[in-house]
Amino acid sequence: MERYNSIIVGSGISGLTLALLLAANGRKVLLLEKAPIIGGCLSRFYKKGVPFDTGFHFTGGFVKNRIMEDMLRVLGIRDSIHPILLDKERSNRFIFENEGLSLEMPAGLEQCCAKLENYFPAQRVAIRNYFEMVERVIQSTPSFDLRKISFSPEPIEEDYISLQKVLDSLTQNQTLKAALSVYCMCYGTKPSEISFANHARVSIGFYDCLTRIKDGGEAFIRAFSQAFKNYPIMIRCNTTIQECLDIHDGIVGRVLLSDGEEVAFDECIFTIHPFEVLKIIPKQHFSKAFWERVESFEPSNGFFSVFGAIEGEKVADNFEPSIVSLLPHSDINILLDPKYIGPQALAIFQSLECAKDKTFHVLNAFEPSFFEQVAPWSNSKVGHRPQGYTDYKKQRVQSICNRIQGFFPEYKDSFRMYDAASMLTFRDYLFSPDGSAYGIKQKVGQFNLFGKLPLRNLYTAGQSAVLPGILGAMLSSFVIARALVDKDAYNNFINKSLCP
Amino acid sequence: MIKEEVIKRINKVFEKDFEIDLKRLKPDAQIFNDLGLDSLDIVDLVVALQKEFSVTIRDDARVRNIRTLNDIYDFILLLGEERKKENIKE
Repeated sequence: MERYNSIIVGSGISGLTLALLLAANGRKVLLLEKAPIIGGCLSRFYKKGVPFDTGFHFTGGFVKNRIMEDMLRVLGIRDSIHPILLDKERSNRFIFENEGLSLEMPAGLEQCCAKLENYFPAQRVAIRNYFEMVERVIQSTPSFDLRKISFSPEPIEEDYISLQKVLDSLTQNQTLKAALSVYCMCYGTKPSEISFANHARVSIGFYDCLTRIKDGGEAFIRAFSQAFKNYPIMIRCNTTIQECLDIHDGIVGRVLLSDGEEVAFDECIFTIHPFEVLKIIPKQHFSKAFWERVESFEPSNGFFSVFGAIEGEKVADNFEPSIVSLLPHSDINILLDPKYIGPQALAIFQSLECAKDKTFHVLNAFEPSFFEQVAPWSNSKVGHRPQGYTDYKKQRVQSICNRIQGFFPEYKDSFRMYDAASMLTFRDYLFSPDGSAYGIKQKVGQFNLFGKLPLRNLYTAGQSAVLPGILGAMLSSFVIARALVDKDAYNNFINKSLCP
Repeated sequence: MIKEEVIKRINKVFEKDFEIDLKRLKPDAQIFNDLGLDSLDIVDLVVALQKEFSVTIRDDARVRNIRTLNDIYDFILLLGEERKKENIKE
């Protein structure tokens, strides 16, 4: 029977990060992926040669001294990742459709603050206070320094107060509140549910500068795959853990894989959705309280997506990578409420993408979506959807295309739709339990599933562990790695790559 | 909240969610040594208590000083008192 030091379940950004960190620290690693290819939602798909991103569209944090830069440096893949900064004047716009108001958000915290003061001159104090609070949170978050990360950092006051409460205490201006909480859409939790601290921790990257990565998530997959060649990392796709075996004194000795093989290991780390973890671990070894805590987590929202490109002779010369967020309501709580039935928010991403020496003017659009909307067809699988679902999809695609062409009349004849995806599509291609985009909602005061499980050589990490999105997913893996390879070895390892 | 009711409800959490026999739930029982919980169970205990009493329990020094079942009874009573004061203020 083969023996590994570490088994990692799930090969999204968290699993890839952990595999590399552990292997670089001398561990023999087995990386398991349920899908046919590694990468999870980092992966791209191609339609008639045009590349489209599934789940990773933009990020932030490619600014000196921010933790994203530090993490990539420690992993040794920083030079393989080429950020495209969306720092032009009209790179990032919020359109409040009801008010007929268009806000252009610049790059840089100070610049965002100044710009919003321009738009809302009567709200200068509120805006200043908000951005000062954001900065204070970042400065007092120890996990934003790779040298100081730990399982249970001392929480700060802002961890216990919701974004909504802070906004309500700062201003009565509903449009300003919405402008300061638009980024809730980037982690799928309402302003009334997220802590101010976590909102600040995710949003800081976007305030610094929204950033596309050249070749999207595939750039990460390529960079990790290349780095893996230097280490003993065994990858198995189409495989997961079927059963935990040989359990003594709270320790799992072996696992049975879905392909029938048994492997022995020292530690196993799940980087998959918490509900998928519940399907694997043996229930009798966990308290009812544990089970109830995890089952009570709520899903974040998903998206209905339209993938397309601008084609033809007259493609605008001024085509620039950009993001436009259309907001038909000035309360983000409502736009993220599954019961809301009015027009949805719509984010339109434009970027230049290359594949096989050809350049494409890609335009993708995303509307928040909730499982309730696709629930009637939830038992169906790709390729075998009922007519009702096909009609739903067609109608929603049409409405999104109309909105794209309504906002960009110049694309009336040149926008071509290549594909579309509902939450069921995301669920079935990405093996997520409900097609939600950001794992579970990380609500204020909530205790996520993170770290050691009651079977003591099983651990959890991933985007549902500490902070949603790519940053939080990677960070959770650094915390686990530090615990597993011991503090001194970890410190030596990261100090080799980080500036003093 | 009266102490008897708090004790009853907390004991129920231990009995129902951690499958610990009521007879073992003596006020001076040590949570780790006598009741057999370990540090990994504490998060689940906190979440279960939050749900039972609709309170927010912060990860602070007061929680870290809890050793016995009686410490939990007193802590929950104290949270109840604090909430009452908050409500009066508001």
